Amino acid sequence: MAGFDLLSDQGLRLDGRRSNELRKIQCKLGVFSQPDGSSYLEQGNTKVLAAVYGPHEIRGSRAKRLLDQVLVNCQYSMATFSTGERKRRPRGDRKSQEMSSHLRQTFEAAIKTELYPRSQIDIFVEVLQADGGNYSACVNAATLALVDAGIPLHEYVTSCTTVLAPPPATSWDDEKLEEGEIALVDASHREETSGSPTLTVAALADSGRLVLCQVGQRLHLDRMNRALERALQGCKDVRDVLDEAVRDHLANCGISEAASS
Amino acid sequence: MALQYKTIHPVKYLRDFLAHNVRPDGRGLLKFRPMALNVRSISSADGSALVKIGNTSVICGIKAELATPKAEEPDRGFIVPNVELSPLSSSKFRPGPPSEEAQVASQFVFDVILNSGCIDTKCLCIVPDKLAWVLYCDLVCLNYDGSVLDACILALMAALNTVSLPEVEYDHEKSTTTVKTERVPLKILSMPVSTTHAIFDDEVLLADPTCEEEDLASGTITVVVSEGKLCSVWKPGGSPLTESQMDGCVDRAKNRVSSVLDLINTALKSSS
Repeated sequence: MAGFDLLSDQGLRLDGRRSNELRKIQCKLGVFSQPDGSSYLEQGNTKVLAAVYGPHEIRGSRAKRLLDQVLVNCQYSMATFSTGERKRRPRGDRKSQEMSSHLRQTFEAAIKTELYPRSQIDIFVEVLQADGGNYSACVNAATLALVDAGIPLHEYVTSCTTVLAPPPATSWDDEKLEEGEIALVDASHREETSGSPTLTVAALADSGRLVLCQVGQRLHLDRMNRALERALQGCKDVRDVLDEAVRDHLANCGISEAASS
Repeated sequence: MALQYKTIHPVKYLRDFLAHNVRPDGRGLLKFRPMALNVRSISSADGSALVKIGNTSVICGIKAELATPKAEEPDRGFIVPNVELSPLSSSKFRPGPPSEEAQVASQFVFDVILNSGCIDTKCLCIVPDKLAWVLYCDLVCLNYDGSVLDACILALMAALNTVSLPEVEYDHEKSTTTVKTERVPLKILSMPVSTTHAIFDDEVLLADPTCEEEDLASGTITVVVSEGKLCSVWKPGGSPLTESQMDGCVDRAKNRVSSVLDLINTALKSSS
């Protein structure tokens, strides 16, 4: 097991959060002029940019064209300076390819794909600083960018990474000790790399439906339900933050356009 | 109506504006766009800066690594600039290996570092023939709206100014290295400043062009000035320039230096 405890005796995490607390999310829509939709999202120290182009004509080979739905093309890229050790390749390595395909699968479920047959939507995400929950931050940023681009979604798709930490050795609460592992919502890099099981969930938050769920490490079946519940609650909390940002953006961009015209 | 006109006759649209000595974004022909600079924005990098020139945004992150110097230059470290024009920044760029434009830009940035002598690579050497620093300077274009080279040079210089390297001890007998916690700021010897002009219709010069203007222009010229001296002039083909036009470009590049340096100094002061 890891050399340090993920939870203190008081039930606080390394960065002082409680187990069900998210990191501070700061986000902004419409940050760039070139893409059709763009967003910047900070989740604690994880900083992500997302840009959406489309829907537009299929680029490249016509063979990729789908007759009944839009083609969703995602690219996940990590800046070489985003991690502690310099990354050799910003994209194209196996991890990035996996991330790209996970993003595509997630957004194919969230976008109303049937509305744009024979077209293509590009979603590009760039991680500028990585501090855990990279996939989650990318999903959340890309959702905002899609909203900014005006692409119809079924509902917000949000994501949350959860780590199951062993309970502190000397717990202040005996009941908690019996419950076993404690789910830590919105894990940071140190929590992710501690060797404990990780559960990544992307969900349509309003209806509570799962879109993508990935478990790393061995996890006892008994723990699964509770961890999933916590992760879903995390997704709903993220959704509330994103919703507020969208409403705020819409209220303000209406004012600035009215003032300039 | 204006939007349709612009789409159907982009060149005529621009020409109509220029006939009245004004550009589509409301600037005069030789006016620059406002700039914004934020330094130390990425804490995982050893030095970083985010630059906005109008809508063009470039972020620079610098990572330092240890390596062995080259055999022919045993007392020098390395600087490796890399410009990335990702498909995120504009619909012009496609996913895949770096485009020709990105590779040319990387080489341009490297040449500017070399010509201006802004960093003495001998300072990056720790133990001759054994140990030296490599500074990987990655410049990622986040929004491509013209004059990207200007933004790249500005981001690079601002980021280099924030770099501090840890002290390293080398044990000759055991050939082991120990990295200490004390950090020493990097010595910057000069501050090159780049200025781009676009040439439209073979005669009109536009300072600090946007992406639209660059696309319609018959050529561009980038002048880099360092410490009041010319350090690089780059004019990749296009329509020819007269000597007086060229002088004008160089003069405006020289005049711009003080405002750019002020911006860098203010940003550095406010972040430390």
